[in-house]
Amino acid sequence: MAEVLEIQEEHHFDPLTLPNNGEGGEESPMKISYGKTMMWYFLLSDAFTFSAFLIAYAAIRISQPWWPNPNSVFKGFPGFGPEANLPLGFVSVMTFVLILSSVAVVRAVQEGHRMNKKGVMIWMFFGILGGVAFLGCQAWEWNNLIHEGLRPFYNPFGPDANGLTHLVEEHQQWSPGPVAFGALFFGITGFHGFHVFTGVLLNVWGFVATSMGVFHRRGHYEMIEKLGLYWHFVDLVWVFVFLAFYLM
Amino acid sequence: MADHLSDEQYKSAVSAVWKATIILGVVTVVEVIAALILGPKLPKVLMNSFYALASFAKAFFIVGEFMHLKYEKRAFMISLGVPLVFLVWAIIAFASEGQSWFLMNHPK
Repeated sequence: MAEVLEIQEEHHFDPLTLPNNGEGGEESPMKISYGKTMMWYFLLSDAFTFSAFLIAYAAIRISQPWWPNPNSVFKGFPGFGPEANLPLGFVSVMTFVLILSSVAVVRAVQEGHRMNKKGVMIWMFFGILGGVAFLGCQAWEWNNLIHEGLRPFYNPFGPDANGLTHLVEEHQQWSPGPVAFGALFFGITGFHGFHVFTGVLLNVWGFVATSMGVFHRRGHYEMIEKLGLYWHFVDLVWVFVFLAFYLM
Repeated sequence: MADHLSDEQYKSAVSAVWKATIILGVVTVVEVIAALILGPKLPKVLMNSFYALASFAKAFFIVGEFMHLKYEKRAFMISLGVPLVFLVWAIIAFASEGQSWFLMNHPK
């Protein structure tokens, strides 16, 4: 009995302080913390979700005889009124806002490595500001397109916008343009916007926790790194949303 | 756990980030200008391949530099990259499926 107890003692398994008994476990093989690893694998699964949406978009778009020309759909710009003709202008601004916001959070992570609490707070603030600005831009763009008549099941962007009238005459539909365009646009940019919104909330929490000195007392700013990973992923997804809806 | 940086590492990390920012900005500007000027003139296939290539370049910069994956262990990079191979199948399969829907609706 005593022997059994001794063996159990020797192989006592504590996930936090693994014993150095030559069976491995004393060293992390990936040299990356548990939290960051899990954030990466969550983002991998999220990448599959976004890929599924974008691939569905591609399949539906390929199945149509034509598709609304982005240069004639996305040409509005705030302050230029309904007659504005600045194709891709506003969405380029949105892209830059998101890239700069991402950069601000990278800087916050770097200041975190230096244990510079004030630096983390300043750069997180700019990161949050960029995220809020992006959401504001998106709200304006959705509002603009809804005013032009775009709905999840109705697409006003007919063939006259592309000079492709002949293709549609033989195939008259109740919606001037491919019906799925609205649902795909609102669905995919909306899902991305939801990620931006969640990211802003998480970053605000990170900012408040930093200002309260939570991470400083902990001795490291790894939480800011995890928030940063999520935030850059949002930027990464935007690259492909931009590609699918605005460029192609 | 926190790998604190020396002054030198810090400086080079900061300059690497600004460099990546400039590259991302320039690639985006080139994409938009190409879409506005060359888009209506050149064949759609050529333009789309250019946009896709430029976007993947941007993606590599974001993942490598901003998300710091370039500096992680190789095994970790592979564990994230290999599952994405499924997407190659998905893109090919669903693109050809879309093509087939088109041909069903528009018989020659």
